[in-house]
Amino acid sequence: MKKKSIALLMAACLCAGMFTGCGKDTEGAQAAPDAQEKEQTSVVSTVFSGELEHDVTIQVLENDTAVSKGYFAELIEAFNEEYAEYGIVAVDANMNQYLDLANDGPYGYGPDVLYQANDIIMQYAEGKHIYPLPVEKMECFDQIPETAWAAYRINLGGTAYTCGVPVNVQAPMLYYRKDLLPEDWEQVWDENGNKIPDMAENWNAMYAFSVSRHQEDGSRYGYMKSLYDVYFSSGFLFSYGGYVFGNNNTDPSDIGFSAGEAEKGAWVLSQLASTMNEECIDDSITTNAYSKLADGTYFATITTPDMYSTFLSEMALVYEEEGLSKEEASAKAEENLVMTTLPALPESGDLTDENAAFFDAKSMGGINGYAISAYTKHPNACLAFVEFATSYDRMVRRSELLGVAPARNDAADTAGGTSQLLYDNLEAGNIVLMPSIKEVSQIWTPGETFFTDLAKDAFRTEGEKKYTDLDAMKKGLEAVDQQIYDAIFTLK
Amino acid sequence: MKEKWNEFTSAVRDSSWKVRLSAVVMGGGQFLYGSYVKGILYFLLEVCIVLYMVIRGFEDIEGFFTLGTQKGDAWLGTVGDNSVIMLLMGIFAWIVVAGFLYLYQMNIKDAYHTQKMIENRKKPLSFKEELAQLLDKKFYITVLILPVLGVCVFNILPIVFMILIAFTNYGGDIVPPELVDWVGIANFEKLITLSQFAPTFFKILGWNLLWAVVSTALNYFLGLGLALLLDKECVKGKAFWRAFPILAYAIPGFITLLAFKFMFSYGGPINQMITASGNAAIGFLDLDAKQMARGIGVLVNCWISVPSIMLLATGHLSNRDMSLYEASRIDGAGRWKQFQKLTMPFMLFATTPVLLSQFIGNFNNFGIFYFLRGGLYVDGYFLASDTDLLINWLYNLSIDNNYYCIGAAISLVIFMITSLISLIIYVKSPSYREEDTFQ
Repeated sequence: MKKKSIALLMAACLCAGMFTGCGKDTEGAQAAPDAQEKEQTSVVSTVFSGELEHDVTIQVLENDTAVSKGYFAELIEAFNEEYAEYGIVAVDANMNQYLDLANDGPYGYGPDVLYQANDIIMQYAEGKHIYPLPVEKMECFDQIPETAWAAYRINLGGTAYTCGVPVNVQAPMLYYRKDLLPEDWEQVWDENGNKIPDMAENWNAMYAFSVSRHQEDGSRYGYMKSLYDVYFSSGFLFSYGGYVFGNNNTDPSDIGFSAGEAEKGAWVLSQLASTMNEECIDDSITTNAYSKLADGTYFATITTPDMYSTFLSEMALVYEEEGLSKEEASAKAEENLVMTTLPALPESGDLTDENAAFFDAKSMGGINGYAISAYTKHPNACLAFVEFATSYDRMVRRSELLGVAPARNDAADTAGGTSQLLYDNLEAGNIVLMPSIKEVSQIWTPGETFFTDLAKDAFRTEGEKKYTDLDAMKKGLEAVDQQIYDAIFTLK
Repeated sequence: MKEKWNEFTSAVRDSSWKVRLSAVVMGGGQFLYGSYVKGILYFLLEVCIVLYMVIRGFEDIEGFFTLGTQKGDAWLGTVGDNSVIMLLMGIFAWIVVAGFLYLYQMNIKDAYHTQKMIENRKKPLSFKEELAQLLDKKFYITVLILPVLGVCVFNILPIVFMILIAFTNYGGDIVPPELVDWVGIANFEKLITLSQFAPTFFKILGWNLLWAVVSTALNYFLGLGLALLLDKECVKGKAFWRAFPILAYAIPGFITLLAFKFMFSYGGPINQMITASGNAAIGFLDLDAKQMARGIGVLVNCWISVPSIMLLATGHLSNRDMSLYEASRIDGAGRWKQFQKLTMPFMLFATTPVLLSQFIGNFNNFGIFYFLRGGLYVDGYFLASDTDLLINWLYNLSIDNNYYCIGAAISLVIFMITSLISLIIYVKSPSYREEDTFQ
């Protein structure tokens, strides 16, 4: 009997285990009986009637940093106060940033408003999982440049829809240590006398300085960056005519990493790699750049603007170890760490060219913004939230607290500094926005492989080198294009 | 088969009208023979199943074939068909139909059995007695009924679902709200006919087989060796020494892999030591490091897997009949001979199924090269690197692209390869052929 009881208990446990996956049923998507009769083109005006839903709660998915640094709490508090008379309450959706709206949305899960990068949002737009927005009627419309709006535009059935509102611009920035400049830099490394070191103004000077710094002391380097990262390295190709997809990044059959004179960009990267050590081949520099820039091993690197505070804290720690007080260390770190836009590139691609003509470098970037889920039951309340969150005051506050560059012209003006530089770069077309089509997910591995190979080539012996001239680099880039094409189309 | 058929036809001829009533209304025969509760229960079961079929079963079966006809449009508020859910519910409906057919034949058999008992002047069992049997003679039914139902819903259904996905166009652009369609064997044709696939497939398959054999053998013999070593009487502090491999085993695999990746990276401690001694850094896992990266993969896999084999072997070794060793020693057998003739046969007999599961686990070991050397496509390989296993390639090809149908098709191919190899090894193993040896 005892054995039977145990067997029964085990059977019960087994069954109980099987039911652990069961949960509450979903509410199901709302069905509109007259849905079929609606015209697609009028979807925006039909959904966003302007009549605010009363006494509703909207779930907002925000960026992790905005949540952790307290900006999001401040934002929803201000919004809830503003819309208290309508009973509209915004709350934290409290879920992982990498949601799956396509699969969860139809069953009633997921946020009403989401904040994501343009490529993520627009993948949802293709499946109509987020609503097109009446952006022309929004207060922020005229303040945001066309390039930024374009990142959220999609053409469905011959009609163009805008499915997101740009909030801030992300693009690689150059970080360098002012206190590591040579004492005589104003005489030797400031050719135009504008009080900005040449290495922050053009890559040729950065290259020359990297070579001389390493020659002086074998354990020290100038510019250091892991080359494998497509996000940071592809900008060099774009500067010389390369692109990701044709037709403004919307045609995946036209892949252009090798387009124009992109091989010159590869050459620039290859020359820079030769001034680094083998750590540029894998992700070692990406991982240790913060501490190595702080301890003075590296002079400069590039990464996104949101990493500024990490560099600052690392530098402050080093200064503290050197005997400064916390406040003094922070102040010194702020004084010595410079974040600026990328240096200019030589037209010839030759970093040793003493008479080079320079032009502004391009970089890959992204635009984060708000979108509204097509499964929300309160679209007008959601739109009110987006309007509120993208207002001038909120954008300025966001920039102050999070150090991000606003996509609004007036907010960028107020924020000044790097934010203004990034905005100007975006407007000038120097920030090539990440494509907003799902095929973009196929560019990373082929790109990473090529850049890794290019970095490795700098450390191969003469006889083993693969990229000995521009032709070889062009062929390498063409192979990248082919691999991306294969990855996208072979199984289609 | 013929005998069964004859038995069946004679039973049909021999059955009374009451039994035949059970064929029309479940439980009818039982009810008329006086087994009222059982009759009512069968009837209620039939009513429930018919109700299910009417309410949604037939619709689900229809959906299984069509996979949806109405495309959803969230902008217009149109609730469309979700092909994936329809496929799942269709499979569930088929399982219900299969369950119904099983109950139906059980019901007829039972009615016929009752008829025979009455003809033989035996009293049919009362409902109470039948219930009592469920706690005695038929206790296995009581214990297994719910787990079997659970297995059908939570194991068989997903497996059948995965297999059927291989015959649809689900994935890529065809994900809900788009409607999925049946495409027959088109996915398998694609795998065979795509010119880029074959060379890479065979290169990866060859390496995959070599990897599975070498890593399984290494893990097994190193684990066994470690267990034998720690079993020696001369080893002091056995518990202490055993703790180290267990620690390695206890740390989550991917953390170990990331740690090894860092150790072997250009900025890692190994290269730091190499450069500090005045030598050039070595790209242990980089683009050109094909054989070295493979070797590191094998070693790292040993680090992760050897402890589990060691623990297993430690347990089995404690069950050895030491008198056999004593006898063999008297007969002049040395240690190697004892290992060959006593330890190995005993261990192989006891651990062949584990060995097989290790082999399959290693054959499909996704983590090792994904974490150690992911994110590379190497020349001569189609969207793969020279350390990728079939499972990694499958990931590159299907999951990265969301081509679930192709992923399912490749999974089926992998399943066929591993199951064939496993079956051959198992049938030839002492565990199968000499089942009674150690009993």
